[in-house]
Amino acid sequence: MNENFSNQEKLKTDLLTINMGPQHPATHGVLRVEIKTDSEIVVQAIPHIGYLHRCFEKHAENLDYRGIIPFVDRMDYLAAMSMEWGYVLAVEKMLKTEIPLRAEYIRVLVCELQRIASHLMFFGTYLIDLGAFSPFLYAFQKREWILRLFEELSGARLLYNYIWIGGVWNDITDQQLKGIEKFCHEMDLEIAKYHKLVSGNSILINRLKNVGVMDQNLCFDYGLTGPILRAAGVKWDLRKNRPYSIYDKFNFEIPVGEGFKGTLGDCYDRYMVRMLEMEESLKIIRQCLEGIEAGDIQAKVAKNIKLPAGEIYSKSECPRGELGYHLISDGGKTPYRLKIKSSCFTHVSALPAVAAGQLIADFVATIGSIDIVLGEVDR
Amino acid sequence: MSSQELTISGYFKNIYDGISSCLKGMFITIQYVFFKKHVTVQYPEEREELPERSRSRLFNDVQNCIACNQCAVACPVDCIYIASTRRAKDAPELKTATGTAIRLDLTQFVIDEALCCYCGLCTTVCPTECLTHTKDFEISMYAIEGMKYNYLDSEVKSWRTRLVKPEYL
Repeated sequence: MNENFSNQEKLKTDLLTINMGPQHPATHGVLRVEIKTDSEIVVQAIPHIGYLHRCFEKHAENLDYRGIIPFVDRMDYLAAMSMEWGYVLAVEKMLKTEIPLRAEYIRVLVCELQRIASHLMFFGTYLIDLGAFSPFLYAFQKREWILRLFEELSGARLLYNYIWIGGVWNDITDQQLKGIEKFCHEMDLEIAKYHKLVSGNSILINRLKNVGVMDQNLCFDYGLTGPILRAAGVKWDLRKNRPYSIYDKFNFEIPVGEGFKGTLGDCYDRYMVRMLEMEESLKIIRQCLEGIEAGDIQAKVAKNIKLPAGEIYSKSECPRGELGYHLISDGGKTPYRLKIKSSCFTHVSALPAVAAGQLIADFVATIGSIDIVLGEVDR
Repeated sequence: MSSQELTISGYFKNIYDGISSCLKGMFITIQYVFFKKHVTVQYPEEREELPERSRSRLFNDVQNCIACNQCAVACPVDCIYIASTRRAKDAPELKTATGTAIRLDLTQFVIDEALCCYCGLCTTVCPTECLTHTKDFEISMYAIEGMKYNYLDSEVKSWRTRLVKPEYL
């Protein structure tokens, strides 16, 4: 009997294929990753996407320009305001509409609040992936305040349809502005608390440092954008480098990864860049509150919007990266084609390159750190 | 990492770092046990008042509806079904609350709330402002056919301010 087991030649060894997802709490949605493992080491990871595909690009060809806004909301449902703004920017550029200053300020205000809400969501769920539960609850209390404000403004908690072509739907009241000011103050204390509770925790540091390194070359090869690119040490932010709307008026820094605890571009850097971005967003919000003036919130736009024939590619900086809309119009009431370049889609495509050679547990940490929303991956 | 040599002092420093940073975290979490206000709302026993603009179930005040069909056109998911007939010339004149003359008799006004995406576009185009969102969000049902609300129905007509309360309250 001993003889049989010791005979290695007769035993067949093979890689074990494991399905992670589509219903897996660590994949944040319906992402299925087929991983081939050699004991605990991931040899290959193949992401399978398409479980949340809802044909938004095709739908858009049959909808008028206003009716598309609720649909783009549903792409990245954690940052719906930024999705709307990106789309509206493209349409407004084609129409050559002048946006009232107050509307621009409100847009910046809500989008930066949305960025904080989205990063708080990342902070909470990422730490749940890593096994810490209580930060999730603290993050959600603050996120809840933001969602409540958005519900007061637009009427919905997640899918707002608030930013319209030519302006915004409803005006923001002085009372709400005061509330935001108070929130900024609370948020400063809150972020300091998060740093004390989580960022300095040696368990987290040892768990994340040198894990899932996405360096500059990988980012350029795959076209990764947003916090992942910045965590690799590249100072690139569309709000600063290609300022759209009124972002050139604001003073803020672009936080970049410095290899805070380990290698440049590891999971800890990506975590830290997002935390620092929240602080920068608070800076922008404060400047907004100072600069906002009374005025119109809606420019004059025709009742039936018809875009001139032509095409446009407009991009904007979303919490998860660059979002691009390629809009082709043939002069009719509906777009001829609307192609959406989503950041999460490209981020998922870079997963196999990082996954090879990782432990399975580290792979979970890597998926969490790129912060994907499957609604935007599949559209 | 394995590349770093582990010295005896480093070994004890690791232990100290681990324990001290965990204690720091524990100190913050324990504050929530004793000193912070509870934030959980015990739904359905407790209810929060929704903001004024909350977009929930749609309601159409059919007395003021002029059957202009604009809401059905604006709807991105096409869930509003309207039918109307031309009002006879000798029929008595009808006016909405805002003074617009009603020239079409509404024969059907059905909204499929199961299809509705609650975007609010239909309410913004309504010229007589008869189509509005209510704050009634507890509209789940066992059968999907029941989600088609016929607003000419006398029962549904009186639902403007309806808020479904649980039976045991």
